[in-house]
Amino acid sequence: MGVSRAWKLTGFLAVVAALSLVAAFSAAGSTKPAAKNTSAAVTTVSLSGWASSPEETAALRRTIAAFQRVNKNIRVQYAPISGDYDAAMLARFASRRPPDVFYVDSLDVPDYQPALEPLNKYIKQSGLKLTPYYKRLLNGFTVKGQVLGLPKDWSPLGMVVNTAALQRAGVTRPTNWAQFTTAMNRLRSTNAVPGGAPACLALDWARILAFIYQNGGAWLNAARTQSVIDSAANVQTVTTYLNWIKNGQAKTPAQLGVGWCGEALGKEKAAIIFEGNWVYSYMQKDFPSVRFRVDPMIRNKQRGNLSFTVSYSMSKFSPNKAAGWKLLRFLTGRTGQAVWSKNSGFLPSRNDVKAPAGRANFVKEAPAARPWQFIKGFDRVNDLAGKELEKAFNGDESVQQMLRNIDQATEEAIARSR
Amino acid sequence: MAVATSKAQRGPRFGSERVREALVGYGFVLIPLGLFALLYLYPIVYSFYISVHEWGGIEGNLGYVGLANFRELWHDNQFWTWPPERGTALWNTFYYALLVVPLQMALGLLMALIVNQPLRGRAFFRSAYYFPALTSSAAISVIAIYLFNADGLVNAGISAVIGHPFHQPWFADPDTALETIIVLDAWTTSGTMMLFYLAALQSIPTDVYEAAAIDGGGVWRTFWKITFPLLKPAHFFVATVSVIGALKLFDQAFIISTGSGGPAGSTMTGVLYLYRVVISEFNFGYGAAVGVVLFLIIFSLTAIQRLLFGRAEIGY
Repeated sequence: MGVSRAWKLTGFLAVVAALSLVAAFSAAGSTKPAAKNTSAAVTTVSLSGWASSPEETAALRRTIAAFQRVNKNIRVQYAPISGDYDAAMLARFASRRPPDVFYVDSLDVPDYQPALEPLNKYIKQSGLKLTPYYKRLLNGFTVKGQVLGLPKDWSPLGMVVNTAALQRAGVTRPTNWAQFTTAMNRLRSTNAVPGGAPACLALDWARILAFIYQNGGAWLNAARTQSVIDSAANVQTVTTYLNWIKNGQAKTPAQLGVGWCGEALGKEKAAIIFEGNWVYSYMQKDFPSVRFRVDPMIRNKQRGNLSFTVSYSMSKFSPNKAAGWKLLRFLTGRTGQAVWSKNSGFLPSRNDVKAPAGRANFVKEAPAARPWQFIKGFDRVNDLAGKELEKAFNGDESVQQMLRNIDQATEEAIARSR
Repeated sequence: MAVATSKAQRGPRFGSERVREALVGYGFVLIPLGLFALLYLYPIVYSFYISVHEWGGIEGNLGYVGLANFRELWHDNQFWTWPPERGTALWNTFYYALLVVPLQMALGLLMALIVNQPLRGRAFFRSAYYFPALTSSAAISVIAIYLFNADGLVNAGISAVIGHPFHQPWFADPDTALETIIVLDAWTTSGTMMLFYLAALQSIPTDVYEAAAIDGGGVWRTFWKITFPLLKPAHFFVATVSVIGALKLFDQAFIISTGSGGPAGSTMTGVLYLYRVVISEFNFGYGAAVGVVLFLIIFSLTAIQRLLFGRAEIGY
């Protein structure tokens, strides 16, 4: 009985296996001619980027659809990457199957550089004019004259304020550090932000560096061959920034019990924050009832701001460079940028495309905004700088000592990157 | 007839019965062994190889650099410092291991002793204590972020007890971030330790306890003089497993710090540092050097434990 059952089972499995094989062969046979017909005329270009939100993914799909309407012979295979983008891209490069076109953050350009296709010859051959692109954004993707990507979009920092709180305190828009200090004092004395602080300031170099630029300082020299962070101007900047927090005029997100300053604005725990364009979608989605506006970034000795930008770049290993370039050119061109910006709410990287409503003060920052970009292998320096900043804030070391330590780490990174 | 043919064939082909059995045995383990070689041995050997090369991962070429990566690591004050400093990957890892291992072992042993008693609902307690060990550490970490938030449930509970608002940002404060992970991990992994101890407790012969009872040994004395020493093999096993696990801390630190090892490097561990070097800097060679050093440290510590605990065999 047992044996016959075993035989029956074996027979059944054999039949299933045979049917699977037949199905697989017939499927292969039926699709082959179709694939042959299309592959002769249609080139498939793969496109990847991170997926910050479903809205962003949907906006890109619409932009791709606009491209497909005018490029019937190119099929765009869009595969957004969720999770750790760098890890996923590294795996794709290691297997020699990177996407043809993909996002590169300006911070990562020095690391991705060996795998990026210089675009100069395509720009020249196609007669593309680079003048509409904001110059400082383009500089973020240009290394030794080689254009390694064209900017997808960008955002500088702006002074984002809770209009009701400022009104309550009778504060007019501060334009420089002195006025900002006065505004915070006024907000505090009138208790315009009950249970919070007048301003939210992050202990983050991606915010402090904007203030450093405003005070005439920098982290690296213009050629990025030398660290200049250990300077008297920078000591003054960081001391002022930390004192705003230590004196209670501002608080850090941790002190306010929030994840980031945007959340402090939304929960009305801070009346003034310094954040980028991303604050719009966040506020509209999570705190639609809180009224806010974006004012121009404050200044000190000069205007100074940071720009966070991402490029569309092409892989050096791409077998579809011509079609990839067509896609890249469209996505960063006037039509593509208009579709993208309208659907995503992101700032276009070109001055001939209108930014979404309410973003005028962000766009005005373009001439003063320098890309958040350093040298190859800078992450370790950034980590150390974060630790040092925390130490200086806690009073474990002086601001001068902190800048000296960061300066040394930066010089070591420069030496390594050579 | 069939048997005779088969014997005739077997003789000259496979030699003795022993060789044949060995071949059949190896045949059975061939696939798992092959997978082990491919997924474990090959990467380990390859890590040693790339640790003496400069390799960015996205480029194809490996450049031989000798021991340069190890020299750089020796001077890397984010990996380690002398004297030891919190916020460096290696010392954070040791600090974590030093606190979490005894905590896990003590909790595991305590829970094992409780559920080894003839209590009502014993099976429920066994399952309840073990349950956190079954839950994904990623899921636990994500929930913990909410629980330990400045406005989270933990602070709400503390506020209710002390009678005034308490808003400690446990994971955002460098002085409490790693300690909170330690508490979290001690809770999640002690269930597994309980299981090991429980198995060991149940293997202790009951006549030893009967003899102790006849001699008038109290509960406390019986525990320290009989149970604890007889658990020596379990102590060795649990300590080894805990130390190895602690030195490999990654997922909780990665999720809680969103991969940065922050705030102020307080949750940067050896393995997280390796990950950051490889993924954020595309520096495979240096990352492999970090991996080799961590491997040697874990290997040495396990060997030392083995020496300290002796052969960890017990004769009743």
